[in-house]
Amino acid sequence: MRPDGGGVPDSVVRVVARQLPGPSLMVAASLIVKGYAEVGDGFAAGVIVALAIALTYIALGAEGAEAALPMLRHAPKLAVGGLLLALASGFFPLAIGQPPLTHRPGPGEHVTKIGALELFTPLLLDIGVFLLVVGVLTMLLHHLSRPRGEGKR
Amino acid sequence: MVGRGGVAAHHEGAPRPALTADWQGWLACAAAVTGFVLCLLGWLAGGGGFSVPWAPSLNLRLSFALDGLGVLYGLLATGVGALVFAYGTRYLTLHLEHERRSAMERWRFWPWMALFAVAMLGLATAQDLVLVFVFFDLTAVCSYFLIGFDRAEREARTAALMALLVTVVAAVAMLVGAVLLYATYGTFSIPELLARAGPSATTTVAAALVAVAALAKSAQVPFHFWLPRAMAAPTPVSAYLHSAAMVAAGVLVLGRVHPLLARSEVVLDGLLVVGAASVVVGGVLALRRDVLKQVLAYSTISQYGYVVMLYGLGGAAGNGAAAFYVLAHGVAKSALFMTAGAVTMATGEDRLSRLGGLGRRMPVLGAAAGVAAATLAALPLTVGFFKDELLFTAALEHGPLTAALAVLAAVLTFAYIGRFWMGLFLGPARGQVGATSGLLVAPVVVLAAVAVFGGLVVAPFARLASDAAGVSAGGPVTLAPAYHLDARPENLMAVAAWVLGGLLLALPRVADRVSRVLATAGERWGPRRAYEAVLRGLDRVSAALHDREVRDLRMSIAAVLVPAGVLIGLAFAATPTAGAYVVGAVMGADWVILPLLALVVVATAVIARARARLVVALALSVVGFALAAMYALVGAPDVALVAVMVETMLTLVFVAALARMPREDPDGDVAAPSRRRRRRRDVLAGVVAGLAVFVSVWGFLSQPAADSVSAEHIRLTPAAHGGDVVTVIVADFRGLDTLVEITVLLVAVIGVATLIRRGKLW
Repeated sequence: MRPDGGGVPDSVVRVVARQLPGPSLMVAASLIVKGYAEVGDGFAAGVIVALAIALTYIALGAEGAEAALPMLRHAPKLAVGGLLLALASGFFPLAIGQPPLTHRPGPGEHVTKIGALELFTPLLLDIGVFLLVVGVLTMLLHHLSRPRGEGKR
Repeated sequence: MVGRGGVAAHHEGAPRPALTADWQGWLACAAAVTGFVLCLLGWLAGGGGFSVPWAPSLNLRLSFALDGLGVLYGLLATGVGALVFAYGTRYLTLHLEHERRSAMERWRFWPWMALFAVAMLGLATAQDLVLVFVFFDLTAVCSYFLIGFDRAEREARTAALMALLVTVVAAVAMLVGAVLLYATYGTFSIPELLARAGPSATTTVAAALVAVAALAKSAQVPFHFWLPRAMAAPTPVSAYLHSAAMVAAGVLVLGRVHPLLARSEVVLDGLLVVGAASVVVGGVLALRRDVLKQVLAYSTISQYGYVVMLYGLGGAAGNGAAAFYVLAHGVAKSALFMTAGAVTMATGEDRLSRLGGLGRRMPVLGAAAGVAAATLAALPLTVGFFKDELLFTAALEHGPLTAALAVLAAVLTFAYIGRFWMGLFLGPARGQVGATSGLLVAPVVVLAAVAVFGGLVVAPFARLASDAAGVSAGGPVTLAPAYHLDARPENLMAVAAWVLGGLLLALPRVADRVSRVLATAGERWGPRRAYEAVLRGLDRVSAALHDREVRDLRMSIAAVLVPAGVLIGLAFAATPTAGAYVVGAVMGADWVILPLLALVVVATAVIARARARLVVALALSVVGFALAAMYALVGAPDVALVAVMVETMLTLVFVAALARMPREDPDGDVAAPSRRRRRRRDVLAGVVAGLAVFVSVWGFLSQPAADSVSAEHIRLTPAAHGGDVVTVIVADFRGLDTLVEITVLLVAVIGVATLIRRGKLW
């Protein structure tokens, strides 16, 4: 992310960048929870988390960011897992003889709620999209933030 | 193939990797035997069938029936199949050992072989034209993988592609014919069509189209060129393909739809001409071939030419003779192919000129192959005698010209198959004989026994053929082939054929000259050249388009934008537009939107003019943020939220990517005039695309639809248990779109990883 190696970002940015991913996850979670009822969905939530990660890349550099957040290396699994979860939540009704994307519980039926969180199958789609977006964007950052040679900066 | 004996001798010190028993092959063989028994029982029980809905909205049904024709081809496909598969278990093992390939390669062979047999069975019993088409193409797909089994050899790959292209492209004609019939008579079902379709122009055209597909499949002139190439396949494949599958599929379809063909004299005459031409071309070319399998391949063209001719003659006699002919030919031809394979495996040679006198060294194979050759040459005491008897009867019924053609065909057959057998098994000994495997000879012996049995007791064969012919003729057919020791015309014609054939055999120079002339003419003007020219032309056009499109990024973008713009422009030119464009009133929030739009225009102008990349990236993000602000203003906070976030992300990614690009201007070394020309061209492309989008968006906004989709979305949102319309659209109403789009997202990032990291995801 720092093309010519010049201009180290100042310490405020670095501290904020380190701290930001946690709260960004909270915001993302709230977007997903509000989900169907109000503004926000898995995609927006994913991009918010990815933005926080992007800021870490800017502030700490690719290697610094990946050292500070070692779980980032799981991004490909996250992306693939998210896609599979979303596809499963979309297509599982086929297995029980209904059109794809049919809800469980169906329209008009009782939906269990935990606070604002509604437990029904579209929630899984949202979570899948969220995981996929975080994974994909993190991978993109990882690949684009390094010159061709592996980690020789 | 050539020189295999030498190779084998060379490796005698170092043992070849011996492969384990071929259980896949035996499994396929057992399945074929089961199928054979079931077919036989079904026939004795009087047939049967079932029909279940397949795609009711298209009137398609999965309807199968085991009628006479189905039984004939079913027995051929499973009976010959079982023998060929048993032969194949040994042949394939030796083949893989010779080429030092692993036993795993069997998985690339047997499933296709089994599917081939299944497809033939399906085709034989299918009663629906679309179903026939599906199985027809399925056999082509199987043959593609089987002919190309030795995929390391270029010849095998070309042959496989040629077989696929010729037969599949021609098969489209069948589908067109089926749709034509459906449009007129409202059904794809063959029995119903036969009941409904009277003689009309539609029936004639449709029947001709179906016939074209069948003729290409049966390798008839002018589509015959793919078949001799296809002998690049392993021998079991050739044996099966020529006798009971693929090539037989063509005449099977002719037999299946024959009542339709018979509605029009033109179609029948066409069949007669094509059949006769194939008989002559195949027979004459077979006279001079040197490679064993090529002799047999040209022979197949000629033999199916007989069958096509007989279908062209039509009537009870023609249909009966055709069905009987297919049966006798299937038995003989598969035996001859397996003979060629066994000889090549034992000697390492595959050319007549390098082989000879094998009769003393391989007496069993020689005798069995002799019976098979005699069957093809229609000598008495084999089932083949009757095939020619029936042929002569049918030809005589039609007229003297066809009778003469029939004799000519028999003469050619006698000559080339005599040359083939005598060249292999008689004369001075040539070629070294290595170890032979009993399993490579046994199937030939079984088939020879069948042929002799048929020559002695012809009744079951005749009944099988007359049942099949009953389907093709659309009424009961009785065949009563028998030996008659008198001077009836059929017998005289047979004797004439043997004498003339023997003469042709004794005077090889005449045959050589005629054959060489025809072969040269075929090389120079034959349809294969047309095929190659078409293929090359298509290649060139595609390469030229590709080169133009991918020369640089601008071209790639222009290749999408300019045609889109031109098409939209044409659509507008053809649509009345008077009064369609309205300039609305400006009020309320519009006063905020207008400055935002102005900002977008300014930013766009900057993008077009700017030289520095960073400026371009930042200006692009200005456009994005301005649009996001507009979303917020027109009451789509959801979209606005995502747009802002994505815009931020995009800007970051852009800046990161730009930082990695080389610093110097890529246009720097391009000469100024060409650069100016290119710039003009870019401007033109941009203007065309921009104008088209402008007029279509303006037109759309001028006339908001009264009952819009969005109103419906808003109405249905509570039903989908949601409060937020955008979320519900994304996750529910357009859920499938979303699923596809997120899949694309992952594919895209894998693409990035492939380009930058050679596919390493992290």
